[in-house]
Formats: sequence, structure tokens, C-alpha cells
Amino acid sequence: MGKRFHHTGLFLFFLLLFSASLLAQGIKITGRVIDKRDGSGLPGAEVQVKGTLIGTTTDIDGAFILEIPGRKEAVLQVSYLGYKTVEIPVDESTTRLTVELEEDVLKTSEVVVTGFATSVKKQNLANAVATLDEKELLPAPAQTLERALAGKLPGITITQNTGAPGGGIDVNLRGVSTIEGSTQPLYVIDGVIVNDDAVQSGIDLVTKAAGAGSRNPQGQPTNRIADINPNDIESIEVLKGASAAAIYGSKAANGVVIITTKRGAPGKVQVDFSQTMGYNSLLKKMGTRRFTEQTAFEQYGQQGRDIFRQNGGIYLDYEDIMYGEKGFLNETFLSVRGGGDKTRFYVSGLARNEAGIIKNTGYKKYSIRFNLDQKIGSRGDLSVHTNYIRTESDRGVTGNDNTNITFGFSLAFTPSFLDIRPKNGVYPDHPFNPSNPLHTRDVFINNERVDRTIVSSKFRYSLLTRTNQTLDFIVLAGVDNYTMRHRVISPPELQYERRSTFPGASLLGKTLNTNSNLYLNLVHHYSASGQFLFTTAAGLQYESQTQDNSLIESRGLIPTQTNVDQAAVTNSYQDRLIKRDRGFFIQEEINIGEKYFFTAGLRGDASSANGDPNKYYLYPKVNGSVLLSAFDFWKFDAISSFKIRAAYGATGNQPPANAKYTSLVGSNIDGRAGLIPSRRRGSADIRPERTVEFETGTDVVFLNGRASLELTYYRQNITDLFLIAALPPSSGFTEEFINGGSMRTQGFEASLAFTPIQTKTFNWFGRINFFKTSSVITQLTTDPFNKGGFATFLGTFRIEEGLSPTSIIGADVDANGNTIILGDAQPDFQMSFNSDFNFKFGFGDFSFYFLWDWRQGGKVINLGKLLTDLGGTSADYEDPATAENLHLPENGTVKESDVAGMTLGPARLNLLGRTTAPYVEDGTFLKLRELSLTYNLPKQWISSHLPNVSYVRIGLSGRNLLMFTRYSGYDPEVSQFGNVAIGRAIDTIPYPSSRSFHLNLSVGL
Amino acid sequence: MKRHKFLFLFLSAIFLGSLLTGCGEMEFPDPNSPDLENAPVSTLVTGALAGMRVDYAIYLRTVSIVGREAYYFEPADPRYTGEIMRANPDPGGFLLNRPWTARYQVVANCRFILEKAQQTSGETQAGLEGFAKTIMAYQLLLNLNYLDENGIKLDYSGDINAPFATKAEAFAYIENLLDEAYTALGNAGSSFSFTLSSGFAGFDTPATFRQFNRALMARVKLYQGKYQEALTALQNSFVDASAPMDKGVYLVYGTGLGDQVNEIYEDPQADFVKLMAHPSFETDAEAGDQRFATKVYKRSVATQFDNLTSDLAVTITSSDVDPLPIIRNEELLLIRAEANIQLGNLSAAQADINAVRAAAGLSAVTLSDQTSAFNQLVYERRYSLFLEGHRWVDMRRWGKLDELPLDRPDDAVLQYMPRPETEVPGK
Repeated sequence: MGKRFHHTGLFLFFLLLFSASLLAQGIKITGRVIDKRDGSGLPGAEVQVKGTLIGTTTDIDGAFILEIPGRKEAVLQVSYLGYKTVEIPVDESTTRLTVELEEDVLKTSEVVVTGFATSVKKQNLANAVATLDEKELLPAPAQTLERALAGKLPGITITQNTGAPGGGIDVNLRGVSTIEGSTQPLYVIDGVIVNDDAVQSGIDLVTKAAGAGSRNPQGQPTNRIADINPNDIESIEVLKGASAAAIYGSKAANGVVIITTKRGAPGKVQVDFSQTMGYNSLLKKMGTRRFTEQTAFEQYGQQGRDIFRQNGGIYLDYEDIMYGEKGFLNETFLSVRGGGDKTRFYVSGLARNEAGIIKNTGYKKYSIRFNLDQKIGSRGDLSVHTNYIRTESDRGVTGNDNTNITFGFSLAFTPSFLDIRPKNGVYPDHPFNPSNPLHTRDVFINNERVDRTIVSSKFRYSLLTRTNQTLDFIVLAGVDNYTMRHRVISPPELQYERRSTFPGASLLGKTLNTNSNLYLNLVHHYSASGQFLFTTAAGLQYESQTQDNSLIESRGLIPTQTNVDQAAVTNSYQDRLIKRDRGFFIQEEINIGEKYFFTAGLRGDASSANGDPNKYYLYPKVNGSVLLSAFDFWKFDAISSFKIRAAYGATGNQPPANAKYTSLVGSNIDGRAGLIPSRRRGSADIRPERTVEFETGTDVVFLNGRASLELTYYRQNITDLFLIAALPPSSGFTEEFINGGSMRTQGFEASLAFTPIQTKTFNWFGRINFFKTSSVITQLTTDPFNKGGFATFLGTFRIEEGLSPTSIIGADVDANGNTIILGDAQPDFQMSFNSDFNFKFGFGDFSFYFLWDWRQGGKVINLGKLLTDLGGTSADYEDPATAENLHLPENGTVKESDVAGMTLGPARLNLLGRTTAPYVEDGTFLKLRELSLTYNLPKQWISSHLPNVSYVRIGLSGRNLLMFTRYSGYDPEVSQFGNVAIGRAIDTIPYPSSRSFHLNLSVGL
Repeated sequence: MKRHKFLFLFLSAIFLGSLLTGCGEMEFPDPNSPDLENAPVSTLVTGALAGMRVDYAIYLRTVSIVGREAYYFEPADPRYTGEIMRANPDPGGFLLNRPWTARYQVVANCRFILEKAQQTSGETQAGLEGFAKTIMAYQLLLNLNYLDENGIKLDYSGDINAPFATKAEAFAYIENLLDEAYTALGNAGSSFSFTLSSGFAGFDTPATFRQFNRALMARVKLYQGKYQEALTALQNSFVDASAPMDKGVYLVYGTGLGDQVNEIYEDPQADFVKLMAHPSFETDAEAGDQRFATKVYKRSVATQFDNLTSDLAVTITSSDVDPLPIIRNEELLLIRAEANIQLGNLSAAQADINAVRAAAGLSAVTLSDQTSAFNQLVYERRYSLFLEGHRWVDMRRWGKLDELPLDRPDDAVLQYMPRPETEVPGK
């Protein structure tokens, strides 16, 4: 524990305390805050005297009483979540007041969290912070939280690694920022850090995927943020870069996603019930080759011809057979919220059950949440959030494989004239492949189950309340605890198991994970002369994680049995992780007359993962914004708000917890335990990667508040990059972690929101996001190296000074023998467009919504195509080969003439080893991510026919309904190696993507 | 402002937090594995013995493919039927790098054992030294077999700029290791302070382990054409024309915790067998040669893959816990025969060759002249040591690589492996 920090914060605050003088007399107002649209009272709205700390909140009916002692006149700022803030001048004569608030569709009045315990109005914010509310998050039901984010926020790229139930999704904020470090943002839910690890299932032990070409685990696991129930979320804020996230220090290099869950509101108890039904279906087929007797013979020899004849040249569409299921989905969600002035609660329950597009696959999620807010005395506030979640996914066997048992691999070697369907319950052996995928599908189990409890609490105690200053002590404490069980069962009757010495495998993996944290904060607000508002915050952080993974592998299963002790031989594995972090922060925000806004802050972080665990690494930040439109000289009425902003900050990325150790690993023989050096030499002086970001931009509200535009440019310099430096194997080690390189990432983000039509009967809200990002390696202390692929000739990524870290290379060289860059996995740009149309008719309200997501460019290494070529089943196998459809680089040594007269499949195979370009494809896509049509029954009808019911809504929606792409695999969104920085965009035929349709009924009581 | 109340609150929150977060030490050892300091030397010996098997199957397949003894039909990886059969191996590829690395890991373990041996004395120290240097020599020899004229690394510092030792330097180094080990084993008493694996049954005392040491030395001498010295080394080995051909030292496999299975094994009757013998192994076999009959299984349907065809599944093992030889009597007899042929002692050679032939159920031959005697030896080595990693190395040292059969227009015979990308600067 860092003793020297215990009293720093304390001391500081007492210094800042000023005794406040109380003045007599003033203004006293009794008022009410109402919704402009329907006149209903808004409970919990904030009424604040501008430039002071005097304020109150409205009661259940929206009413308030406010006393402003010692003032003859004042300006009231009235704000309410989701509504535009208004300012109303009052004086001694004002005794009664009704404030009408208008819905804030452009979210210009939003309040954004900026630290552990402070927040600021978006209008003053110096960073581009992306936000989403409940409505924007879930226009269509989503399996997991990350899926619901896709395409909605500028600078944020959501890419699924596989279409398997439960996901495995990459959330990338502002491009590549590391090579070897962690890539996922930090998730903070209700103030506490929530685990987002992806734990491998051990299925590699069956598929041997991590065997030959790559040692990286390839189980394509789910990342644990997927457990969170998206329906519980009230709002999401994304701190995209270091300048905004500096306060989170060495965990924030990939940005921070701050999630706030729903809470109760005072007033009538509100019950929301929602029932969704729908189905998943295959989004896209790859197609397969059509054989003739002759081509069957050419491809598979006499045996092929015999089978072709025997089956009468039958054409079986195995994509239909394997991926053609209409996976039924069913989601029930119920929430109850309410409370009074002292106590507020939110309770919710979710049951979601959906089947995948492959038989015996699917996803289940059950979640219960209880959020409680309680006032304790006049000074204390306690919030407790508890969430229990059970998720379960059956993921099938997909992805890379060295045993030819995964569905994609097996189908690549299954020509359409072959019939491997079961007859009378007997599955024929596959003549051209070691497994019959239909048999595997029907009996193989790959199941992951998680039981998770997340509890967090926040206690705020008001130490001091004066008219010009307040001091709050805030404790945030949380525990995220989960138990995960992986079961992989490969029954002995399977074709490939029958041939092994110990047929049948059962794997049982267990993971126990606990993340806990405690934050102690002091927040001081001070208002000076009505013009200056100072917010000072300081705090201490303790965070720890322990994870214990164990796996039992047993082989030689007794038929029909699955327990790991019902087998001939077993192996077991265990891997533990311990990480402890200590930190402190101090931050000062200054708001000058709502015109200038400045922040300076400093975070210090020590971690057991660093070579020196007692050293504090410092992460400063400074930012400022000027609201030009608030000045008197601003005369452009059409532009109601104009802000320029600039921000600077630093964050870090912690080394992997084991990077510092040189250890020996097990190497056993004859029942004796032995040790051998691990391949990685420890790095005793490893330190965090450091990202320093500068960001600048402008936020404009124009067309009389009908449109807003945010423009942001950012540049990140990342230094001390973790690299796995290759050691010559002759040393006995093959690698070590070093801090040895720098990278620069820069980008541009634009977001245009508009409400061109806003009438009593029709509203149109739209948003266009555009962003692009690019990275370049600026310095490397190691030799340039290849990373991420299976082998150079199978496509890999080149890490070299001056190149983008996601540059794809292969076997291709130019006439001088220089390696040719075949493309970049990073898209050229991304764009999304959504529109929400609301119609109010006498017979009810309709709304229609869609979201298009366009990703331009970004290459994908499609090794799935290589597999279907090897199996002779590629759809384009017999197309004539041309330089164009082989994607041959113009400056390459391989020319179209090299494969003159050949068809595509043989041409690609023939050129393998000389060119990789035929397997590098453009990943451009346009997807209709979300579409929904909602009908709200008219209120009058409900109130007369359904007493106690507040609304009835019927919705039709879809997710990923359309995809336009030239990519020949299932989906250009793919990553065989999961959430890695370098080495994404490699396709070895994952679980195909699906589209989903839903019918939803929601009722509010 | 009640300052004491505030302080109380603050401190109790810290206390609470310490309980919650387990305010433990920031510095702690690796929770998963020990470091060298804490490892008993006997675990390093076991680790080395186990490590000798790591990726040996990849080595064995590769040299057998290049030596046209076998094909490896791997649908998931085109390299086995691609680059190495076209004499164009990837210097960054796993066929080269994984065995290379695994051998040097065992070398590192042996170096650690030698380091730890310094803390012991007398027979214990001599035993550790004799073991470690012998194993180290064997591991280096395998890598030298792979890279041949490209040499190997003998500088273990991890400096990428350290030069490769030439083939001659490497042989000298290996010989020196074996000789030092041989001397040390002479001072190691009657038993080792550690336990060897069951693959060393019969060779697990300093005296018998010395025979294994000399057997390796005989192979090393033969490879360099030092025939007289090979014969000398053999005298102290376990060569014995009347002993079983299989007598020798083995890599053993098992299914116990952390153990390895023999990946060379495949069910010869499986629908699809990856490791298939080269068809010439059948066409060139002498009628009645038991070595052909026992080492391959002729399948009813030939497998066609990547324009290669074979119907011969390899059956040198009958389960995935069967051992693989490191060196055995049959090879020693053939080393003795080859050395004798080269030295002109045809009658001595004839005795050994006929002992080998008799074991294979073949009639005796008469060696009339050196050329035909040599050709006879080439045949015997091919069938006796089938898929034990010799054919390619033999044909290369005999200058006969151009006699190996080529199956496809683009195929070529690789001379030796390139230097691994990971050992060369600026790649």
C-alpha cells in the first residue's frame, strides 16, 4: 500500500476549505418542472442557481421549492436527463414558476462522467466522448452488449471474431494502439471495473489448432463483457482516447467504456414487461463447386467417380444441411422500478434463450439485477448494485483445426455429390476427411457456462454543504466474481476418435475469477464570485484480480460416459493469475462563467505486473474548451452553440502478469516430473506501454438547434511498446517481452446529428458517423518481424518501421526480391447512418428505425478459401484464372501467364508459396445492422380499455438483415485468433454469421 | 465540521477496502512455476529426457519426406507435401524451427544441469556431467543433420550476431562433448544419482551409459568418414551381432500426466492415414524382406493427395505409446559393416550384413567387391533403418541425393535445411 498517499488528498481539501458566510433574505420560489410535449411532471429534475452550488431536485410530481438567500436576482438552470437544459432568470418577485423542458434528441445538454466521482456537462467537455442511451442501444434485441454497439459510435469499431453463439467480439477504440498488449477497453459499470477476459475452453486439445503453424490459442472464446444484460443499461459513455481516459491510468490505453445501469425514480411504481420471439438464420453462403463425373474423378480419383455414380450425381447443399437451421430465439424481460424520496429501487430479470444456425448450438442468458439507492440521514447516499448472471453457450466446433474435425474444415473436403447423412441412425464414414461433420455436430459438445455475481456499492457522504462550496466523500467498492465451466466432449464413436489409441475425449475446464476494487474519493466544489466553479477531486484506488484456471483432459472415454474419471488416461493443467494494482489521482476542473472550461489531472499507478511493482507510473492530463457562442460577441443566432476544444493526456497498458518471470515448465516422462526452461525468458524491467494523446475538435449546434456536428482529430504516440523479441532458439529461449518500439496512430471523427422535421405528429432524427484511423510504426528496437499469421506464405502481418502495423504480406516479392505489401487490415474509413422516424396518429404512434454500417477497405486473409481449394470444393474452383481474380499485385513476379489455361482453384494452389495475393481479399462491407418498426397503441385507447396499463408496444425488428460485400467467405468480420492487436482478419472458416428477426411485445404498467 | 468523525470514516473505509481487495504484497513469485534456483537437478534430468521427444516427430517426418522414405498427407498444412518436397523450405517455417528449437531447449537444460553439477562433487558431479554432455552432443547432432553444410550455433548467449559454427567445427565440438562425457562417466561410480527413463533400460548405469556414448560417437565418426575411429568407438559400445537388432536406447512415450504420446503412430487401417511410405519402398524391396512386411501395411485403396499416391501405411509403431529408437544394435552393425567396407575388410562387413539380413529373413550374401558391397550396405541401411531418420542423411553423405526418386515435375531433393530465420540477424 502506498502509505505516502494516505493523507495527501485529505490535506489538500482542508486547505481548500473556506468558511462560508451566510447572508439573509433573498428569493423563494415554488415551482414545477414539466415535459413540454405532454405536460407531465418530471420527477428528479435538477434546479440549480447558475454560478452557485445552491440547488434542489424536484419531487414525484415534478414540484420543487427553492430558496436563494441574499440574492435579488438569479438565473436558474433546470436540467433533466434526456431533456435540454434551460436557463430562466428570476428575481425577488418570482414566487411561482413552471418550467417546460424539451426532449434533447441531439443530446447537447448531456452530463458526462469525467472521473471516478465527477461529471461535466457535454457542452463544456474538452474531449469527444461518445454516448448512447438506452433507446439508441437496443432498437433491436441483441444477444450481447457489444453486438448492440456495432456501428453506433464514431471511432469505435466492433468486429465479431466468429458468428458462434455468445460471440467473441472485438471492441476497438481509435485504431491499433499496441502490438502485444491487451486490446480491449476497460469496462466500468456503476463505478467498478468489470472483467472482460476471454478464457480459452481447451478445445485446441481436440482440434490441435494451436499445434503446427501457430502456438496461439484458437478456441475463439467469448469475452466476458458479453455476460452483461444490455436491457439493464441506461447509458453508455465511451472515453475513446488517452486524453479522456487518463484518469484510469495504466488500464486505459484502449479507452474506457463507462456503463450506468438503470435505477428507480420516485413516483408510481413502473413495471415494464417485454417479450421477444424470433429466429436466427444464415446470413450468407459461400457456395460450393458443382461436380461432374469427370471432375469428381479428377479431384478424388476412382473412388470419387464411384461415389458420384453410386449417388447418381446427387447435389447436396451442405451449407443448408449444416447451417440451415432457423434458430428460435426467445427473450423475456421484466423490470420494476420505483421508490420515494429516500429509497429508490430497480429490479429486473431477463431470460434469453436462442438457438444457433447449427443444430445443437445456442446461447442462454439469465440475469437478475437489483439496484437500490437509499438516502441515509441528510448527508449520506448509498447505492448498491447487485447482478447475478448465468450464461451458457453451446458453440459447436468451428474455426481452425489440424485434425479436420471442425465443421468448416470438414465441409471444405465434402463435395456435394457425397452423401454423409445418417441412414437409420448410422453415420457413414467420410471417405475424404477424417470426420463426418454431421456426426460431430450431433454428438460433440462444446459448452461454456458462467455463473457470475457483480456487486458494487457507492457511498457518498456530504462532509460540508455551504452556499459556495461542498465537500463529498465518496467510496466505491465492487466485486466481480465468476465461475466458468467449459465442457468439451468428443464421444468415442466419432469417426476420428474410433481410430485413435484412446477413443473419446472429455475436457473439463474450470475458471474462478475475482476482480475487486475500492476507490476512495474526495470531491470539493467551490464557487467563487458566481463566475468561477472549481471542482477538485482526489482519490486512492486499490484493484486486484485473481484467476485460477484448471483443465482436466481425459481420453479413452467409456462409451456413453462423459465424466473425466470414466476414461483411460487423463492430463491436467492449471494456470493462475494474480494481479494487484495501487493508484492515486488528483484532478482539478475549472469552469469560468460557462465559457471556459479547464481540467488538469494526474494519475499514478503501480502494479504487480510491472518489473518494479512498487514504482508509480504517472499519467497526466490537461484539457480545455471555450464555448465561443456563450460570449457576448457571438451574433450568429443560427449557430446556437459553438465550442472549440483541445485535450492532452497519457494512459498506459499493463504488461501481461507473467512477463517478468523466467520460469521452468513441466516436462514429464515415465511418471516422473521434470522441468525444462519455458520458451520465454523473463523481463525483469518490463514496464507499461505508454500512450500520449493529443485531441482537438469542435462541437457545433446549428439550424436553430436542429443539427449538431462534432469534429475531432486525434494523434496518439505510443511508446515503450511491448514486443516479443525473438531470441535465437540456440539460447534455449525463443522470446522475451521487451519495451521496444513506438507507434503513431491518428484519426479523424465526425458525427452529424439532425432533426430536420420535428412536429407534433412527425419527428425525424438522423445521425451520420464517419471516422478513419491509421497507424504507423515509428520506431522498433528489434529487427522487423512478421506476426499474427500461420506462416509467411499463408499471409501474415509485417511489423516494420514506416509501415502500418496491420500491413499484410505473403510470399509475394517484386522483381528485386523485395516483399510486396498486399494490403492493410485496417479499413480506409468507416461510416454509419441511422434514422429514426416517429409518426403520431390518432390510432397510435409508429416509429421506424434503421442503421447502416459501412466499412470501406480493410483486407482479410481468407484461408478458408485455401481449405476449400485443397478440398476441391471452392465455388469458383472452375472459373478461369485471371490476374484480376487472383488479385495478383502488378509489381509481383507472378504473372497471369504462369497459370495460363488453368482454372482458379488449381491456379491458386499452384501459385501457393509464390504468391499469397489470391487469398487476400477486400473486406469492404455494407450491413443493415438494425431495422425496427414499432407501433405504440394510442394512450387514450389504453387508458379507457386497459386501466393501469401505461403503454403497449408492438415491434418488428431485425439485426444484420442485409450484407453487401464482395468478400467470398462468410463474413469479412472475422478473427481466428480472437482479440489480438495484430493478427486479426484471418479467416479459417468460423461459425458463419447469422441474421435475426424479432417480434416484440412490450407492456408498461 | 467534525474532523474526527471524517477521519474515522476515511480510515475505516481504508480498512474495509484492505479486507475487500486483499491488500496483499505487490511482489510475489510466479504463481505457476518454479525458477531455476528452486529446481532440483534431478527434475532437470527428467525434463531433458522428456524434452528430447518434443517435436521429434516433426523432424522424423521431415527428414523421411526429404529422403523419399515417406509422404505426409496433411490436409491442414500444405507444407509437408509442398515446400520440403520442392527443396524450397521456409526459413521461418515450423518444419525447421520447431525441432531446431526443441533440441536447443534440451541443450539449455543440459547446460543448466552442468551449472548445477558444479554445486555437487565426486561421482555425483561426474555422473551429471557424463549424462548432460552425452545428451547435449546427441541433440546437437540432430540439428547438424538438419542443417549440414549450414552449420549450427554453438554460442548459446542469445546474441543474434553470434556466428554459425561450420559443419567441421560442429563435429569437433560434438566429438569433444562425447569424449569429455566418456571420461566423466568413467569416474561416476556404479550408479547415477538420478533416474533415467525406461528408454535407457540396460544403459542406465555409468558403465552402460558409456556404451551408449560410444555408440553415438561411432555414428559421429562414420558421418565424417573417420572409419577406423568409428570401429574404435564401436569396440566400447554395445554392438553385438548375436544380440537382438532392437537392443538399444529409445525415446519412450506415455499417457501419464504431462507425458507425450508418439505422434508417428497412426492406425494403418484408418480411413485416412497421413504418414504413408514412398511407393519405391515397395518396388525396391527384395522379395521376402521381413523389414518391408513389418514396417508398412499395404492398404486396399491407395490414397491420393496433392498429386502424390501411396497405399503403404507406416507401421514402425503399433500404438502411440510405442518407443522410437535413438540408436540400436542394427545401426551399430551397419556402421561397423560400412566402416569395414570402406577400409576394405569385406569379410568382416559380410558377417555383419548377413547378421542383419538373417534377422530380416533374407538369405546370406557374399561381398565380392567394394562397389557391390557398398551397394548392398546402402540397401540394408535403407530397409533396416527405415523411418528412423537416416536415409536422407546417408544419401547426402554418400553424394547420392540425385538418386532419390522425384514424383512430380516441380519436385526436387533438398540438400540441407536453411539457417532458421530466428538465428540470422536482419531478417
